[in-house]
Amino acid sequence: MYVTRVRAALWIATLALFLALFNVTLSAQWLTYPSKGLPTKADGSPNLMAPAPRTADGKPDLSGVWDVEKNRPCGITGCPDQAPQEYFNIGWALKEGLPYQPWAAALVKSRTAQNSVEDPVTRCLPIGVVHTHTTPLLKKIIQTPALLLILNERNASYRQIFIDGRPLPEDPQPSFNGYSTGKWEADTLVVQSNGFQDDIWLDHNGSPLTEAAKMTERFRRVTVGRLEMELTVDDPKAYTRPWTVKLSQNLVPDGELLDAYCLENEKDIQHFVNHSVAR
Amino acid sequence: MKIKTLGILAAVTLTLAAIPAVAHHSFAAEYDSNKPVTLTGSVTKLEWTNPHARFYADVKDASGNVVNWEFELGSPNGLMRRGWTRSSLKPGDVISVEGYMAKDGSHLCNARTVALADGRKIFAGAAEDGGPGSK
Repeated sequence: MYVTRVRAALWIATLALFLALFNVTLSAQWLTYPSKGLPTKADGSPNLMAPAPRTADGKPDLSGVWDVEKNRPCGITGCPDQAPQEYFNIGWALKEGLPYQPWAAALVKSRTAQNSVEDPVTRCLPIGVVHTHTTPLLKKIIQTPALLLILNERNASYRQIFIDGRPLPEDPQPSFNGYSTGKWEADTLVVQSNGFQDDIWLDHNGSPLTEAAKMTERFRRVTVGRLEMELTVDDPKAYTRPWTVKLSQNLVPDGELLDAYCLENEKDIQHFVNHSVAR
Repeated sequence: MKIKTLGILAAVTLTLAAIPAVAHHSFAAEYDSNKPVTLTGSVTKLEWTNPHARFYADVKDASGNVVNWEFELGSPNGLMRRGWTRSSLKPGDVISVEGYMAKDGSHLCNARTVALADGRKIFAGAAEDGGPGSK
């Protein structure tokens, strides 16, 4: 019928306009490509509250694309890619703040007074595992029986957490990511790390991590949609006692990593008012 | 769905697209939150790159001289997840920007909102860089 054909043409035109407006084709949309294998609700959407998936050997599976949990107020139009409080101050949730050694407290005061212009994030340098946890760029965890591999959007970088039973290295070559080995304690993956480079910035304030540090991360996937992590830093050179904070990630059920190269087009450093010589 | 309804839906969607991005650097190191500005101009270039997308526009000053200004947006990663693409802004587009001036006196502005010629307002600030409205 003529009316039916007109209506069909209208639908096609509407769809074409919709696609043109959003400049996409359905088959090429990796930005929102849905993850396979997630449990679903009655309406077909992912059930993020379902129990955490398990691997063939019965361990919780931490695999997925993850985004750091946001705990700062959002702008009027929403909360995407908002950095959490811990990005600026890793000890934000601690009642008495971070237990800095006096020199570390003075260092943080000096860094914040200069608007953190030497922040390695700003200089496009590697930023270490803690700042990577709090950075609002996506991460992908790939879990195999012997290795937990974390792929980061930031500078298309990676981190390896070995779960093959190897001990921590003795006298390791200092590294931005350190050396990590983990083992399962019931449903919690307990990861120990050492071998850090000296003076890694744990946050934008410049809280230091020294080469003397030992770090423990306890990962627990409490539901499909939530990965909780407890971070303990034991660094007597910079802190008067070990301290523990909680950092969590939320699953991105329909997202894929996009490379984010900091050096691609860095144009801010030249405009900073507190100029310093780059490392 | 009627075309008109679809158009309104698209406009509303773009308006709701918040576009903050990675906190590459401290807002206060570069921009003055006490110097809000509104600038209107014609886009000359868009750099759809990390760590901050940025666009350039010819802006007429009070004497009628045309000055090319640089405007900083968020990371493309955040922008795309909010519905922007590298085609969202084209050379020739007339835009009005609300933002904050660079501290060093250069023709550089951190764009908090960008309004297209038809009035659609799009939030463009890197909200988690510590700048106004982010805390």
